[in-house]
Amino acid sequence: MSKLFPKSANKLPLQIIIYLGLLAGIATAGVTYYMTPKYSRVGYAPVQPVPFSHAQHVQEVGLDCRYCHSNVEKSGHSNVPSAQTCMNCHSIIKVDSPLLAPVRESYEKNTPVPWVWIHQTPDYAYFNHAIHVNRGVSCVECHGKVNEMDTVKHTQPLSMGFCIECHRNPEQRLRDPKDVFNLDSKRLVDQGPEGVKLADKFMHDWKLMPPQSCSGCHR
Amino acid sequence: MKRKFDHPAPTEQEQLTGPKYWRSLDELSATPGFQAQLAREFPDGAAELDGVDRRNFMKIMAASFALGGAGLAGCRRPEKFILPYGKSVEGVIPGLPSYYATAMPLRKTAIPLLAETHQGRPTKLEGNPTYKPHGGAASLHAQASILELYDPDRATAHTKGGQQLTADAVNQLLVSINRNYSGNGGAGLAFLADESSSPTRQRLVAALRKRFPQATWSEYEPIVDEAPVTAAQAAFGAAVRPIYHFAKAKRIVSIDADFLHSAAGSLYYARGFANGRRLAKKDDPMNRLYMAESGLSLTGSMADHRLRLASSHMLAFAAQLSIQLFPEVGNELSAYRQGLQLPPKWIEECAADLAQHRGACVVVAGAHLPVEVQFLAHALNASLGNVGTTVTYVAVEPTNAAPITQLAASIKSGSVRTLVVLGGNPAFNAPADLDWAGLQKSVGEVVRFGYYADETSAVNPAATTHIAAAHYLESWGDARTVDGTIVPIQPMIQPLFGGLTQNEVIARIAGETEVDSYALVTATITALAGPGASAQNAMARFLHDGVLEGSAQRAVAVRLNLAAARQLFSPAQPLATFSKDNLEVRFQADYKMDDGRFANNGWLQECPDPISKISWDNAIFISPTLAKELGVYPKGSLIQVARVEAASFQQGMEMAFIGELTVNGKTVRAPLHIQPGLANYTIILPLGYGRTVVGHVGKGAGHNFYPLRTSANPHVATGGKLVATQEKYRLANTQEHWSMEGRDIVREANYEGANSYQENPGFVKTFGMESHTPSNLGVVGEKMTPQQRATEIPRGNSLYSTPKFDGMHQWGMSIDMNTCIACQACVVACQAENNIPIVGKDQVLRGREMHWIRIDRYYSDGNLDAGAFGGEGNKALPDDLDVSFQPMTCVHCELAPCETVCPVNATVHDEEGLNTMAYNRCIGTRYCANNCPYKVRRFNFFDYNQRSLDSLYMGQLADFGMPELVSLGKNPEVTVRMRGVMEKCTYCVQRIQNGKIQHKVKMAQLGSPGDVVVPDGTIKTACQQTCPVDAIVFGNILDKDSAVSKAKAREQEYEVLGYLNVRPRTTYAGRVRNRNPRMPGYTALPASRIEYQKKNEPQGQGHGHGGHDTHGKTAPAAGAEKKGAH
Repeated sequence: MSKLFPKSANKLPLQIIIYLGLLAGIATAGVTYYMTPKYSRVGYAPVQPVPFSHAQHVQEVGLDCRYCHSNVEKSGHSNVPSAQTCMNCHSIIKVDSPLLAPVRESYEKNTPVPWVWIHQTPDYAYFNHAIHVNRGVSCVECHGKVNEMDTVKHTQPLSMGFCIECHRNPEQRLRDPKDVFNLDSKRLVDQGPEGVKLADKFMHDWKLMPPQSCSGCHR
Repeated sequence: MKRKFDHPAPTEQEQLTGPKYWRSLDELSATPGFQAQLAREFPDGAAELDGVDRRNFMKIMAASFALGGAGLAGCRRPEKFILPYGKSVEGVIPGLPSYYATAMPLRKTAIPLLAETHQGRPTKLEGNPTYKPHGGAASLHAQASILELYDPDRATAHTKGGQQLTADAVNQLLVSINRNYSGNGGAGLAFLADESSSPTRQRLVAALRKRFPQATWSEYEPIVDEAPVTAAQAAFGAAVRPIYHFAKAKRIVSIDADFLHSAAGSLYYARGFANGRRLAKKDDPMNRLYMAESGLSLTGSMADHRLRLASSHMLAFAAQLSIQLFPEVGNELSAYRQGLQLPPKWIEECAADLAQHRGACVVVAGAHLPVEVQFLAHALNASLGNVGTTVTYVAVEPTNAAPITQLAASIKSGSVRTLVVLGGNPAFNAPADLDWAGLQKSVGEVVRFGYYADETSAVNPAATTHIAAAHYLESWGDARTVDGTIVPIQPMIQPLFGGLTQNEVIARIAGETEVDSYALVTATITALAGPGASAQNAMARFLHDGVLEGSAQRAVAVRLNLAAARQLFSPAQPLATFSKDNLEVRFQADYKMDDGRFANNGWLQECPDPISKISWDNAIFISPTLAKELGVYPKGSLIQVARVEAASFQQGMEMAFIGELTVNGKTVRAPLHIQPGLANYTIILPLGYGRTVVGHVGKGAGHNFYPLRTSANPHVATGGKLVATQEKYRLANTQEHWSMEGRDIVREANYEGANSYQENPGFVKTFGMESHTPSNLGVVGEKMTPQQRATEIPRGNSLYSTPKFDGMHQWGMSIDMNTCIACQACVVACQAENNIPIVGKDQVLRGREMHWIRIDRYYSDGNLDAGAFGGEGNKALPDDLDVSFQPMTCVHCELAPCETVCPVNATVHDEEGLNTMAYNRCIGTRYCANNCPYKVRRFNFFDYNQRSLDSLYMGQLADFGMPELVSLGKNPEVTVRMRGVMEKCTYCVQRIQNGKIQHKVKMAQLGSPGDVVVPDGTIKTACQQTCPVDAIVFGNILDKDSAVSKAKAREQEYEVLGYLNVRPRTTYAGRVRNRNPRMPGYTALPASRIEYQKKNEPQGQGHGHGGHDTHGKTAPAAGAEKKGAH
């Protein structure tokens, strides 16, 4: 019973621990990288039933965000427009385009066009658009440069960390309330030392105190 | 080595790497979808696919596989959709609720409501603040009625004999009835309808009866919530009914009248009563309520002096009171009070008190009492000068409807060929001696219009056409409130299952040209609005306001005609003596089930009865005296510290003995529940349970007492015999313990006298632990204003530093126990607002009910078990008692014990003082519930929302998913919680956040964005909004002018369990009882105070308190009532 194991077996426990540690580290790194919203959500650009191009409608046609997303200043939901809104123009323009067939069908039959939801938030987190756009937070902060997108893409992770980061330092992300719907405008803090002062004044005068505790979003 | 990409045969080497795997990838790679995806995601890699070597291919495949790209497009994240409207809907903003005025009709009154709708679905009902008498409050039933709209067990189609009928077929049937009977003026046609206050229906019925003069129009309700007009007709020579204005009454005598709950105008009465009772500061006036009753009702619980008296003796009581006040009627009435034994001087002092407040007092008689008592009540009010102040009379338009007995006789004689049953449920609740089921079966054609396919529809399905009714939230209609104001019933949603309204059915049978409900109501309103008003405006205004301005009935002058009593009164009978073998039996509408119509309403089934605390069941309520004689008196146990419970509880489950009750020759078996406070030999039978043809919720709930009820004695019967068996039955009782055990949980004082509120409005600070320990807040904290204290939480003498609250608002609440009547509207309102599930009887037996707010009910009688821990002591249940109610929710402690023990920080404090819950973080440790001193945290032991309640223990094997109809009723503003998550009152955080957001948005758009503090009264919690007596006040305590700051500044405000230094944000106002020092049984301190002193200051006790010996073990003489209330 003397020499059951070779001498190299003495190193085995240490090797096991090192390898397990390495494995855990790799797994953690892998999960942290691949399975967090920054990786898994950003870049999501699903195929929509109608290939609506924001770039064309905003930059070429010149529509304001609120023409279609009409309730964003009043309600928690920023509404995707009904087919009726599309038909305001498309009853005259491109009336026979096969790409617009779902819209026409929706308008006639009063059934919804099944737009794929890109910026999905969990059911237990309640985000309210109206309070943000009315208090200096532009669309572009969370949705990116939608006015340049042909297909809407998920640009920010929209994880809780992302929201909390802004809620802790809102002055970094504020715009002049007039500029909220101008996605090419600059943040106040990016407008030089004057801008930084304006941002602080904004925070003070408007008493901006975004909630940092759970009840702000979790009901 | 290069491999061809198209399906090579597996070689040995391939077999080592897993051929099956390889093959499936191969196959997948051939599909065009996969290729396309590959091309989209990896444009470079795709080019290499042709002639790629295996190693490279593996790299690419592995990478894409890891990203879930192996042909499974949805592996990345589940695809969800946004579904906008096709055509926009005017006025609908997704995410913002719309409010519409409507009303809930119930018998002859209605409660005006505002329905909150989310994109067409009503989710919550509130009272309509435009109707001032209710002040924006809604009742328990109104709050629960929305659940019935989404009840999967409702009638979803018109049927006959099991076959579905189309809407056309139904319309044709109704028209055919009209045609068949037009020739002979309606002979052979009979209607049995429920009571309604709808002016439109009144008009249509008049047209119907004009068309069919020979037809029988009968109305039947098993419950009377308003006294029949006979007595008033005799007393005043006119068909009038009283409306009581309790706000103006300083002294109230209630003769078996539960006006706070059971009366038709109870919401208005409760409000008025509370207005007369609320104490903001010293010297505020307070009313005094005397009550004589046989059961223990909510009104009796609020009474300052309560007499236990059999209902059959109420006539004698009224006669005695009349003689005492007006000796000149002694000749006529003395016969009626012969043999009445009351505690000495009870009537004398009560009458003296009334006499001193002529014009500011009121006498109310229960609607179920005989006409003689009603007459005497009217006479007393008239003679005491109350008419015009505390009671006004309005005209009653007689319906000339035949009583059901007359209709039954017609059917029996065979003269009815077609019977139309409109609403109600006569097969279930008609008087038993009529044998309604048999009668209905004998009629050739029966048309039954009802919301549920219930007992009446099931009598003879082959010959019965069941017309599905629309819920009132799906209907156009109108109704009248207690004072006659006309209110609209407006649909929030199209009838989900094509139901009809009652007015439509009547109109069709009557052959009206206009049968559309909306047009019918418009016609009524335009006619009522008077000349000169345009139809559009009148109706639009009516629908917008929710009331028809000026339609309240005017009071009429009345003159008392005492002589009419001679014709009205039956000759005096000797006073019945009740005993164990001759029991008085009272049939009462159940607090929640009403007459049985709400049997399938889960919220109401689970809501515990406010006095007995039993849910999902009813029982025969017996007094402790009777229980002793029957041998079912609970035995104490060795571990019992104080008093014996009102039943034998085993592991928290009430094990009630089953009793066999025989009345009028019929016997029923039901559990016996001992209810302290009942008249000795009166038993109470709550009606409305034991339904047989009912949906999932109501099946097997409770016991049916209707078979005992005859048309001769529908409310009070005598000659009951009760035999207790040894069988046990489990009753789901949510409150095992009734005694406060001498603790200062509810702090009470008398209104006047020594140690009273008048002497020291801050009486609550003179007892309790905090009264003789240093202040929790410390020296610094005591000097702070409430506003300072809310933000800089003073450390006091605590070791721990305290958090700083820096929100713009700090939320707080005050609950006034002086006005809370325990109607429990708040319990169901909270359930509706916050998507709280019901758990079923089995889980309630285990104490797992989910209500976020509960009303604790305590009895005190001044006795205390001094011999605890094995001593003999006092083990008696109280007979004459004080009842105290305490609504208990999460009190949002500033130093919450639940927050510190959560291992995952799921419950934290927010900047505005709320103790919040993040449901998604909770892992279900339940340590927080363990630590909560108030025990207000509720745990979701099962997935009550998604799993059926009878298969909870099957776990994952049970069917999953709630019916779509049920999901429509959930409030989208609040998370629907799943199994394993803790929940509790959140101060309606969704309303707070929405209120703040709406205010900030409005201010930003108006140009004053710095104005972020929400004005007081904008944000109301669900419980606060529905409370009829405004017992709950909520708001911002940083604002010293807010209602809640003023309420908290009252001297009688205190913290329950305040000595624990948890600093609750909800404080309570102590209860004050307005006792008459000259009444028998008067004690200088309320009973709970006496118990407190006995326990905590034993050397100070003795016979020095008051004058009444509370220790005396006077054995009650058989049949005599115990001494009057304390």
